[in-house]
Amino acid sequence: MSEKTNETAARNLEKAGGDLQWLLRTTEDAINRLVHAFQSLTGHTETTLELASAIVDCVQDQSVVSVLPSVRALGIAAKQFLRERSQATSGILETVTAEMKLLHRLSEVTEGQAQIALDMNMLTVHTKIEVAHLGSVGTGFEYLAHELADFSQSLTRNTEELARHTHNRSDAAENTRHMLSVELPHLRKALTRVEANMGDDLVQLEAGLSELSRMPEQFRRSAEDIARQIAGVVVAVQGYDITRQQIEHVQEALTVISHRLLTEHDAKARVSSESAQAHAGLAIQICQLGAIQATIAEWKSQIRICMEGILRISALDIVGIGPLVLEQERSMSSQLSHIELLECECQSYGEKTRSTLEGISNLSQLFTEHLQKSDSARKRLRLLTFNSVIEASHLGAQADTICVIADGIAEVSAEWSTVAEQSGRTLEEFLNLSERISEVMTTFSKTCSEDLNRAQEQTKTGLESLRKASVFAVLQGQKIENAIEIMRTSSGEIGKISDLLDTCFGRINEVLSDIEQIKGQLELEHPDVKAGYDGEEIERLFSASYTTQTERDVLRSAIYGTAFSAAQQSSIGNDVELF
Amino acid sequence: MRRILTVDDSASMRQMVNFTLRKAGYEVTEAVDGEDGLAKVTSERFDLIITDLNMPNVDGIQLITSARKIPGYSFVPILMLSTESQAEKKDAGRKAGATGWIVKPFNADQLVAVVQKLVK
Repeated sequence: MSEKTNETAARNLEKAGGDLQWLLRTTEDAINRLVHAFQSLTGHTETTLELASAIVDCVQDQSVVSVLPSVRALGIAAKQFLRERSQATSGILETVTAEMKLLHRLSEVTEGQAQIALDMNMLTVHTKIEVAHLGSVGTGFEYLAHELADFSQSLTRNTEELARHTHNRSDAAENTRHMLSVELPHLRKALTRVEANMGDDLVQLEAGLSELSRMPEQFRRSAEDIARQIAGVVVAVQGYDITRQQIEHVQEALTVISHRLLTEHDAKARVSSESAQAHAGLAIQICQLGAIQATIAEWKSQIRICMEGILRISALDIVGIGPLVLEQERSMSSQLSHIELLECECQSYGEKTRSTLEGISNLSQLFTEHLQKSDSARKRLRLLTFNSVIEASHLGAQADTICVIADGIAEVSAEWSTVAEQSGRTLEEFLNLSERISEVMTTFSKTCSEDLNRAQEQTKTGLESLRKASVFAVLQGQKIENAIEIMRTSSGEIGKISDLLDTCFGRINEVLSDIEQIKGQLELEHPDVKAGYDGEEIERLFSASYTTQTERDVLRSAIYGTAFSAAQQSSIGNDVELF
Repeated sequence: MRRILTVDDSASMRQMVNFTLRKAGYEVTEAVDGEDGLAKVTSERFDLIITDLNMPNVDGIQLITSARKIPGYSFVPILMLSTESQAEKKDAGRKAGATGWIVKPFNADQLVAVVQKLVK
């Protein structure tokens, strides 16, 4: 090479060295900023982990996972409750319709009784007329006339009372039937719909609670993942330090080569040897820079992946813990409210049915009393009739009319018995209806919901625990959100520094290009330059400052063509060797 | 709290050692090179020293040799943290009085585990 060319090459190498110096200075500053941002990020990550850990502890302390069996019991009891009530709604309407029919029959019975009372009244009149007609011999029949009058009045009063009650009851039953026929189908549909929805909701709730029960394990895994990512960044930052040293060594080598090129023209005898050494030195530095680029790409990628990992794990897993607890609490509260609402609604229908039962019960009582009274009256009437016939037979033909009246009384008494039998049968049916209503009422009554109530109470206790955990989770969650926001800011800062590092390390390409150009010039001017050096001498010359095995391997690869894999840095770091 | 001295001419390396051990509950002091490290060792008491090998002014081997002569530091664990992995370098470190050797980059968990073992 000519003196001028050597000077130019030496200047270019010095410039390349200057570029590397600038690169080191700038990247050192950027790395320090990155480390600072990383420490801030991990500081807030630790805060986030502590906050989330407190939530997990709270969830465990409150034994939230024990809510799961209660919820399962609640689901079974609620389904049973809904099915029974759905079936009972049909029973209510049938019962009220049956009551309507019985009331109609009761009206017929009271009409029959009214006719008997009328007949009895007529017989009373006839008896009184005949007593007056018989004069002094007829005084024995005055008592009969008096009794008949009493029976007639009493029967009329009772019949009127029964008719009034029956009428009132009919009106009330009609209103109830109408109301139930309109509302019960809606309730039935609502019960069916709620049963279906509740099935889905409980499945979701169970899934949510199962997820909650897995929370401590998930949190532990997240914490471990974050620790791994942080350790990854620690290793990657050290990777920078290693490449910094390697770049310094390249920089030193470029100075050595530059001196070789400048001294070449002073010692003509060693021209080819110096050029060959310079050429070999350049070839080595090109390889070193290539290896450095690969290492830089590796640790930069590791930093980015690990930082993203920290943010992703924090944002998804840890921040999600608070809302998860809250969501489960809300979901469970909603289910409980729904069940309680349905219970109230069923209770309301239960009250209406109870009212129907009470109406029937009162009427049945009235009827029973009436039947007892009429039975007693008929017995007395039969006795009176028997006495009247005996008395009439003593009087002979004078009392023929009394005998006719006695026959009439016997006929009315027989009719009365028939009506009384009808009343008895109707009363029996009323009692049967009461029993059916009682069964329906049992279904609607509180005692029948014992299983549900027990499950509700247990779930409420669990819910209270979940609520406490939820309130705590919300408070912690807000702090976590704040920490995550700061972490995002740190991450943004790290992103900018990474971009700056990309730009800085991009300068290596320019340095490589300069060195390759100088190496090319050497090859042009000295075609035999590639073979004109002593490998061992070159190794001694350039490896003196090397501090890594990678650099030595790269050097040997450049001189002797031995195999070398660029990406050798451990991504998990090296162990400690104790002496 | 146990005190640890980290000696390295690279700020980022010192910060990483500091970060890792501080998180593990240790008090960490930084020295920018062997000379600074020696000054701190002379004036303060540390339970463990972690030093780089190649540093300006006073290197890691010199630091260990000098530190071993300071009263109270004969048995204080000293770990070398270097990019070097050559056997002869490790041997030189061992002869100077190093307790152990770590090739950069170090594994954080491993480092903490060893420090815990050495300063318990």
